[in-house]
Amino acid sequence: MNEQLKLSELNGLVKKAIGEAFTAPVWVIAEISELKINRNGHCYLVLIEKEVNGDAIVAQAKATIWSYTFRMLQPYFETTTGQQLTEGLKVLVSVSVEFHELYGFSLNIRDIDPTYTLGDMARRRREIIARLQSEGVADMNKELTLPLVPQKIAIISSSTAAGYQDFIDQLTNNPAKYRFHLKLFPAIMQGNQAEASIIGALEQIYQYESFFDAVVIIRGGGSQVDLSCFDNYNLAYFVTQFPIPVITGIGHEKDDSIVDLVAHTRLKTPTAVAEFLISGVAQFDQHLEELKNRFAEIIDDRLTSARSVVDQYARSFIPIVTDKIVKVNGRLNQTIWKFDNYVKVFIKNQNYQLSRTEESLRHEFKNFHQIQLRRLERTTRALSVSSQRITLINNELLMRKIQLSGKLVRNMLSDKLLYLELAQQKAQLTDPLKILARGYSITTYNGRALKDTDRIIMNALIETKLHKGNIISEIKTIIKEL
Amino acid sequence: MNTPKKNLSYKEAITEIEEILKQLDNNELDVDELSDKVKRVSMLVTLCKEKLHHTEQEIDKILKEMDNNFN
Repeated sequence: MNEQLKLSELNGLVKKAIGEAFTAPVWVIAEISELKINRNGHCYLVLIEKEVNGDAIVAQAKATIWSYTFRMLQPYFETTTGQQLTEGLKVLVSVSVEFHELYGFSLNIRDIDPTYTLGDMARRRREIIARLQSEGVADMNKELTLPLVPQKIAIISSSTAAGYQDFIDQLTNNPAKYRFHLKLFPAIMQGNQAEASIIGALEQIYQYESFFDAVVIIRGGGSQVDLSCFDNYNLAYFVTQFPIPVITGIGHEKDDSIVDLVAHTRLKTPTAVAEFLISGVAQFDQHLEELKNRFAEIIDDRLTSARSVVDQYARSFIPIVTDKIVKVNGRLNQTIWKFDNYVKVFIKNQNYQLSRTEESLRHEFKNFHQIQLRRLERTTRALSVSSQRITLINNELLMRKIQLSGKLVRNMLSDKLLYLELAQQKAQLTDPLKILARGYSITTYNGRALKDTDRIIMNALIETKLHKGNIISEIKTIIKEL
Repeated sequence: MNTPKKNLSYKEAITEIEEILKQLDNNELDVDELSDKVKRVSMLVTLCKEKLHHTEQEIDKILKEMDNNFN
């Protein structure tokens, strides 16, 4: 140990050696592991290299891009690749190797070759696609049948995403007024969190698997950067396994993302997705309309032909019926004529019989009448003789009875007259007024004639009727008869 | 004649209409059956049109349930 160095001397030697070893910038392939931009616009990175078939890191270095360079490199890279310069990317960068006594080893990035990243991304895409295909899942979502009328739509998007509201408006106000049932499952649509967020939304939709007709993943146009989340194996795999058809409209102008490739239907923009859904419903509607019209036509034809068959029958029927009617009519007329004759003969016969009967009846009646008349005459004469005799006898009897009665009445009357005279004399004697006139009087009590003392009481008022006038007296003494 | 189902799917409806059309094309239907078929087809068409343009109660119910579950 003869020579001792200070750390700064050592670091100075390393710096010198490095400076001599790397006189010009070197092109290096590395993966960006960390990337930060500070307030001054300087970019600080950590570059790494992983094992070929694994994740183990085999080399690592700090790197910087000074703000002046970064302002030029960043847009150049992003417009060329359609990809944000961000962590996880593999890049080919031109670096000057630097060593600082205090800050150590570092690579200063001077230039970047985006075509390498493009190639790497394409290779990675190819690998993912190859993997999905070798797993036999790549076409699984495509094999699902999109319902005839996709009306119940689960939307994965961000409610603030540019195309989202347009998409809703377009479906809600479609000209044919088809009814769409829309449900948003919000998700982060770009960056590192997108993968987990979109898978989370798909998991929610999965709970209503039987309800939805389709899932649409939409994202407005605008920024073309950072679509790498749709080139993600896990998300792509999830889509292939999803039991509902997935329709994408994630605003990719260039290549299709892997999610696009495995989706049931891949469309460029949300607007295109809305048109696709509306046209699907319209197509069904049109088909329905066609079937309806065809049905109406066929029914019309069938009815027309049925009617013509009936008409034909009717036409051939008329002569047959007419003929039949003529025949029947002839027979009927014949029968009527026969019947008519028969009836005439019958009536004639009957008339003759009738007149003969009438004749004999009249004759019989005349005989009968004469006999009866003679019998009547005889009876009348006999009756008249008898009645004259009876009258004579009765008259005689009557006369005798009258004479007898006269005598009887005369005797009875004289007896009665005598009796009447006696009765008149007696009546004159008993007339009360005549008795009163002779000095007798009648005393009444309570309107009844007083004949004894039985009903009378002391101080009672009694009325005495005299021949002329009345007096009212009060009882002072009662002398009872013993 | 089947009784009309409210939740008849579009596919079922279209299939049935197409089946009836096929029967008509093949002259498998008697004139007397036409009236029933006309009624049936017109009912199916109306049902589809109704579903195309209006919300069913059942769907609203499920969408509301989702709102409650996820928001």
